Amino acid sequence: MTRVHGTSRAAAPAPFTPSAPLNTVLARPSRTVAAALPRLPFRRPLLLSVTSLSPNARSVAPPPSFLQSHSPQCGDEELGEEFLIFGYWAWLMSFSELKDRHVAATATVNTLRDRLNQKRQQLLDTDVAGYAKSQGRTAVNFCSTDLVCCRTLQGHTGKVYSLDWTSEKNRIVSASQDGRLIIWNALTSQKTHAIKLPCAWVMTCAFAPNGHSVACGGLDSECSIFNLNSQVDRYGNIPVSRVLTGHKGYVSSCEFVRDQDTRLITGSGDQTCVLWDVTTGQRISVFGGEFPSGHTSDVLSISINSSNSNIFVSGSCDATARLWDTRIASRAIRTYQGHYGDVNTVKFFPDGQRFGTGSDDGTCRLFDMRTGHQLQVYSQQQANNDQDIPIVTSIAFSISGRLLFAGYSNGDCYVWDTLLAEVVVNLGKLQNSHEGRISCLGLSADGSALCTGSWDKNLKIWAFGGHRKVI
Amino acid sequence: MRRFLEADPPTEADGYSFATEYDGPPLTYDIPRACPIDVDRIPLAALAPPSASRPDPPLVLPFPSPKRPPQVPFASPTSVIENHADVSGALGSSGFLDPSTEPSEVADGSGAVWFSGDLKGVAASSSDIIPNRLSLESALSLGFSCRSPASCYEDGEDDIAMQAEEASVGTFQESGQSSYSMSPSIGVTPQTRSEELETKIKKGACYMCLKGSRFTEKETCLVCDARYCSSCVLTAMGSMPEGRKCVSCIGSPILESNRERLGKSSRLLKRLLSSLEVEQVVKAEKNSEANQLRPEHICVNGKKLSLEEMVLLQSCPCPPPTLKPGLYWYDKVSGYWGKEGHRPDRIITPNLNIGGALMQNASNGNTGILINGREITKVELQMLKWAGVSCAGNPHFWLNADGTYLEEGQKNIKGKIWGKPIMKLLCPVLSLPFPDKVANPSGEEVNDLVRRVVSEYLDKKTLQKLLLVGNHGSGTSTIFKQAKFLYRSVPFSEDERQDIKLMIQTSIYNYIGILLEGRELFEEESLAERKGNQQLHSSGDAELDKEKIVTEYSINPRLKAFSDWLLKVMASGNLEDIFPAATREYAPLVEELWNDSAIQATYKRRSELQPIPSIASCFLERVVDISRVEYEPSDMDILYADGITTSNGLACVDFHFPQLPCAGMSINDHDHQETSSRYQLIRVQNKGLGENCRWLHLFEDVRIVIFCVSLTDYDEYQEDLNGVVLNKMMENKRLFEIIARAFEQINFLLILSKFDLLEQKIDTAPLTLCKWFDGFDPVVSHHPRNNSRNNQGTNIESTRAEQAFQYVAVKFKRLFLSITGRKLFVTRANGLDSDSVNAAIRYASEIIKWDGEWSMCDSVESMYNTEPSFFSH
Repeated sequence: MTRVHGTSRAAAPAPFTPSAPLNTVLARPSRTVAAALPRLPFRRPLLLSVTSLSPNARSVAPPPSFLQSHSPQCGDEELGEEFLIFGYWAWLMSFSELKDRHVAATATVNTLRDRLNQKRQQLLDTDVAGYAKSQGRTAVNFCSTDLVCCRTLQGHTGKVYSLDWTSEKNRIVSASQDGRLIIWNALTSQKTHAIKLPCAWVMTCAFAPNGHSVACGGLDSECSIFNLNSQVDRYGNIPVSRVLTGHKGYVSSCEFVRDQDTRLITGSGDQTCVLWDVTTGQRISVFGGEFPSGHTSDVLSISINSSNSNIFVSGSCDATARLWDTRIASRAIRTYQGHYGDVNTVKFFPDGQRFGTGSDDGTCRLFDMRTGHQLQVYSQQQANNDQDIPIVTSIAFSISGRLLFAGYSNGDCYVWDTLLAEVVVNLGKLQNSHEGRISCLGLSADGSALCTGSWDKNLKIWAFGGHRKVI
Repeated sequence: MRRFLEADPPTEADGYSFATEYDGPPLTYDIPRACPIDVDRIPLAALAPPSASRPDPPLVLPFPSPKRPPQVPFASPTSVIENHADVSGALGSSGFLDPSTEPSEVADGSGAVWFSGDLKGVAASSSDIIPNRLSLESALSLGFSCRSPASCYEDGEDDIAMQAEEASVGTFQESGQSSYSMSPSIGVTPQTRSEELETKIKKGACYMCLKGSRFTEKETCLVCDARYCSSCVLTAMGSMPEGRKCVSCIGSPILESNRERLGKSSRLLKRLLSSLEVEQVVKAEKNSEANQLRPEHICVNGKKLSLEEMVLLQSCPCPPPTLKPGLYWYDKVSGYWGKEGHRPDRIITPNLNIGGALMQNASNGNTGILINGREITKVELQMLKWAGVSCAGNPHFWLNADGTYLEEGQKNIKGKIWGKPIMKLLCPVLSLPFPDKVANPSGEEVNDLVRRVVSEYLDKKTLQKLLLVGNHGSGTSTIFKQAKFLYRSVPFSEDERQDIKLMIQTSIYNYIGILLEGRELFEEESLAERKGNQQLHSSGDAELDKEKIVTEYSINPRLKAFSDWLLKVMASGNLEDIFPAATREYAPLVEELWNDSAIQATYKRRSELQPIPSIASCFLERVVDISRVEYEPSDMDILYADGITTSNGLACVDFHFPQLPCAGMSINDHDHQETSSRYQLIRVQNKGLGENCRWLHLFEDVRIVIFCVSLTDYDEYQEDLNGVVLNKMMENKRLFEIIARAFEQINFLLILSKFDLLEQKIDTAPLTLCKWFDGFDPVVSHHPRNNSRNNQGTNIESTRAEQAFQYVAVKFKRLFLSITGRKLFVTRANGLDSDSVNAAIRYASEIIKWDGEWSMCDSVESMYNTEPSFFSH
């Protein structure tokens, strides 16, 4: 042990060390152990010896790092029990032995996971498109003027990174690298507010359901709330009304809980999602991080279920999406695999039973929330020999769910027919389209308009223009 | 409107021209005529939003002008079609008010009246044709957003009113008559003004296109007073980085007479630019350095002001009004302010730390009475007498800002000068100042302002961004903090210090937690050891003794209880909730723990535990002191503290290099350039911002990436998520590759830090421990030159460290070359040594500056600055 072990990673397991006198009587671990695991500090997983813990056997737990790496993925229930027992047993053994077993166990988990996925593949006899075709459904057909760019919102002087619509009125908040949030009236394309941010590196923004405040987050690892009705200071800036601090990494995504103005969920580069109470600025619960079955890499996107606001889904750099219940913070309800790259964006399907994902691997996928099955892959059959498959940056569903809007890094914006997995129209090839990467897109609350934001500094509003003559 | 136009096409458009004179008898009625519509001159930049509800613009019948020169063949203003040609360009017809026209044509004074009528016509017509333009503006500008389209008419009229005002102000500003307003719809008093109109008429033209008249809306350069019409102003002034200045005037100080206009946006600007842009221009104008009053032109108490003093003076609650270059005196205690050699002019905010010490003869008094060391003038003496201050025997007074005065050297307050209500009346009689409000902020508060204002003021200058990035432990945060100390007058604000204080206080408990954990570990180990030994020697009463065995790692029960509690708290993750708040109560315990021999013994074996920075002992020894509420981290503590903010997110600091004092002329010039460019150091830590570097694309505008690598990383290891032990140097390499790929076009500076620590351990731990460096061959015998040079004056160890440094540098250079095909700059810095950090950051700024030159010559031979014979090929 002459090496100096550094723990520069937040979740790096501590080196295993021989510990624990054998005289402690251990209770048989149950599934509740995982749930009852204490919250652990972010910085450093502590390795506790049994003596330092209370005699209460329930709180006696195997090293959390062990649990983390060995904990069963959701869905493979039978695996979990065994592994916990195995883990317990292994925990009482010497260091080197333990380490070997750790490696072996990791390998086992991985093979089992692969088998599970294979099994899933076998069970998946069809996808949405196949079924729809067999039912004789035909794809949506748009002519080129059906979807037109009817507004261009100009005013940002940097790349637009994020946008959000209000729930009732036609207002949009957009966040850009020029360090400003701009609130737009989408109908008149007027700016109603421009908020200068203390930290210019903003990555996400969101409107509160009541439309009176906006939230944004970025590289400062904080989520700032601005009340649009507050008085401007003498420099003409709207002051920050609340700062939510606690994340240890950049804030990549934030969304207000729909029916509660005071609740906000953020996703962060520290691999966690956090439910906040905006009024007090306190964290209500943390999802992931030191907990088993959390994301193992940066969380990039979250989406809250539209029919049950306790449920939300998160997409991460670990190529998975995970489903969470805000009432059960301890573990992810389910993990969805299938992507081969970072999951950049997740969005719930309007009915709240499915959700879509968009990824660095250039595909969008539709997952069934309850079964965990992947229902459909939306990808262009391209010549895959070249490395430059445009990545999916952002997605949105139409109100009916029939259309899936997906923005790509090359400036394309496909409208997919979710039923038949065919591209209806490519907004990037239309007149007045963006010149840069589409970084964000969103549908208005009534579904009548789509707003896209791009690295070309503009936002554009697209609407059905079939019967209207556009000036 | 459009319908109207179509229904009533300009019938006489073909035959009509301005040149044709009307030579018939004077008409008693108005003939509707149409001017040719010059489509290009109608500002129609964008389409109106189709769905915006647009009520029909109200038609306003313009005034028939009361008196019209019959010889002017100009159409009647009754028709709204007529004046189209004039909307964007000249307000008067160009034929009428062309500079070449003889001034006598307008000399009769009716020109102005005519003008008013004409304006009215334009007002009406513009209100009609302008909706398109207005909606464009409102679409683009925030300023318009609150206006409904229904207010079009008012807008139009305002527009014209403003135009007229602008024009008049622009024309008559020097003559000092900018106070009158020239309202187009009201009867004008032309007689007084016509002469001026006449004399200025030649100057009315645009300096660029030489067209237009004095009524044309124009923008004036703040430096040279050149005027440009709306179509030329953008060409002449460009993007206005310093506000409204000709391109050739950028950088020059503005005319003092134009100072009032500074930062006041005009209608013309608003029309040409979107409101955000206008805002930016105005802000740039107000804030850009060249436009400020030069601090060296203002001399207070015989001392030229510095930039910060200047900003302080101008931003204080009661600044001297209309500050002009000159010599002033300032009484810091009472707030008296005046020109040198004159009586007090004003009472400004007291306690400003500006200028030198007040001199006795500052106001050139001869009364022999001193107030705060200044001999007062006769007028002031009179005031004192009225105020009831007895001045017999030429007393010396101290006068405070609140008006209380006392005799010099005395303690008891003799009275209040401003106490009597009559003083408020009397002071103006003597033309002496009277304080506005007696309540004035204290000195610290006032001087605190400077920081905020300076930062705001320097905000808009173009920033050269430096991105400081590195793995955890590579010294980025120390370098960042050192840079703050180096370049900021107030390195850390109160909040930041508080933040750091909390960080230090929490980290103490982290350190102690690690130690306690280690202690338990070691205790068990030694217990087990003893047990083994005992079992060898005696097998009888081992069970009895077991509880009583005391190892060197044992602690007493009280501390044990605390230790257990603390570990439990840490395990439950509540440390952050409890600790910054409760540090004080547990400080004595922690100190006791720290001084306990068991902990000390553990500390000696810290290399076997999780890394505890060597600085931990420093903090732990002073734990009681640090845990106090009033503890203020010293500069050294701040440097030593782990990280910058508690969230450990991105941190950035704006700075510029302070001007080097007393250098030669040529160097001064060079330095001036350097100081004029501003830098922003942005520090991101890989740990804080996620492993996947998803944030890289946010920094595409940085000019240089400063990548930090700790030289000691080569034999240190860390575990990744999967429990795989990785060499930290390999991790550095991996991160470096990612970042170099992402910023292929940007210059890189590699800072190799912790050279001192490398020197310490290079002998015990060879560099080849890291497999990337297995080619390192410290045998130097076959490089005699290199060897002999390096050996001079130093011992062999430092030479080896030096070689190791060079080797690592070359490894990174080759890696960088293979990725980007460009040269990597390498330097060495120690975060705790401010000079080396300063040198490194200056080096970075040099790289930025010479960027252009380097791109020209990519000489291969300069790729490596170490001897190529160094590597084993």
